[in-house]
Amino acid sequence: MAHPPPPSALYTPTFFLALLTTLLLCATLRALSILPSHSAKPRPRAPGTRTRVVIVLGSGGHTQEMLYLLRDLDPGRYTHRTWVVSSGDAFSAGRAVAFESEIEHRVGKGMGRQNVGPGSYDVQIVPRARKIHQSLLTTPASSLRCLWACFGPLLSSSSSSSSASTNSTPAAADLPELIITNGPATACILVLAALLLKFFDVRGAQSRGKCRTVYAESFARVKTLSLSGKLLVRVVDRFLVQWEELEGAGGGRAEFVGVLV
Amino acid sequence: MSKLCFVTTGATAPFTKLIEAVLSPSSLDAFLECGVTHIFIQYGTAKDVYHSTAEAARQYLKAISTEQELKIDGMDFDSSGLKEQFKLVQQTQGLAISHAGSGSILEALRYQVPLIVVPNTALLDNHQEELAVAMDRAGYVIHGNVDHLAPAIKVSEGFRTKMAQFPPVTAGKERKTKSFANIMDETVGFTDFNNE
Repeated sequence: MAHPPPPSALYTPTFFLALLTTLLLCATLRALSILPSHSAKPRPRAPGTRTRVVIVLGSGGHTQEMLYLLRDLDPGRYTHRTWVVSSGDAFSAGRAVAFESEIEHRVGKGMGRQNVGPGSYDVQIVPRARKIHQSLLTTPASSLRCLWACFGPLLSSSSSSSSASTNSTPAAADLPELIITNGPATACILVLAALLLKFFDVRGAQSRGKCRTVYAESFARVKTLSLSGKLLVRVVDRFLVQWEELEGAGGGRAEFVGVLV
Repeated sequence: MSKLCFVTTGATAPFTKLIEAVLSPSSLDAFLECGVTHIFIQYGTAKDVYHSTAEAARQYLKAISTEQELKIDGMDFDSSGLKEQFKLVQQTQGLAISHAGSGSILEALRYQVPLIVVPNTALLDNHQEELAVAMDRAGYVIHGNVDHLAPAIKVSEGFRTKMAQFPPVTAGKERKTKSFANIMDETVGFTDFNNE
């Protein structure tokens, strides 16, 4: 009578190799399934549906262009805005607050004033991925710190966490519908964080079609993509370029939409 | 009647060649021909170059004993932005001359003023040149050159009436430009309600 082999006999190198291959295969299939070419068309959204948008700001030029892009932002549709700025960038944080008071002024005392002013937006600060002149040796550590911090603005707005805030809405506490970036280094890390949320379908990031990403290449790039653009062109849902020469760049993904700023 | 020419050289890198080009005798002649009465230069860190060149320019104006007034002033930076200067250019039906930094270009164009964009070729970065060429081709600005600035100054007067609307209503092959707000709506699914 042959005894069945003990369970420990399973732990052979071949077994681990097979396990590893299976995991790798699953991960690849999953990664492919979350990439933009497979993401479903957005479901029609009824007017008035509360919607959070995450906007990544960074350094003078990027911030200025971003605010030009958003000049017609309708707070009645994008009812909660989360602004992400890098630590030490007081300029961008100040511009975000000034922009918010402009739209508050625009809406005035009319309809939709519950979607403007404090409580309808938040500014979240993430540490820099790499400071100027920082040693390359410590960059991986600081990038990881930045990545970790980027989950914060994605998972919820900071104004929703304080129970005292009466304006907080389910949308503010939920994943954003939309992430908008135009190329600062922080944006690459934040988009990576969003991809990880989709990969593991954290809080339905993938199954509920949350965290859609729009990247607008800088108006100053006429013939070649920026470094951030090259890194993100295949992973964002929409990749917009403002000059015809860049149409179809990044393996046909770049959409020429004319000057936006 | 006063008429302002505002020159901005940028805040980061000194652009001495632009200051020299603006205050060269051929440019001064072109300014007088266009009826410019005041040149105001944001010279950044190039203070010494500005002062010596401005002095030489005043000498030149004295030497040709013109009866027209042409005042030359400058400042280093304005932390509150350049809005006031561009507004003055707009009010006096003047012109602006700028380095090819996208920030200054975008700000100037909000005021629909004739803008000459001069790339800083010393920067080893041909993006400025590419942007200036593309903007010129689209009819938004005049692409200028530090070695031949006078022709661009003379063209600027007629440019006022034919310059393209910025931000554009249409772009490319008569294609209607989508606004960024439309693209956001499309991406999250507000599309069906655009025509409400």
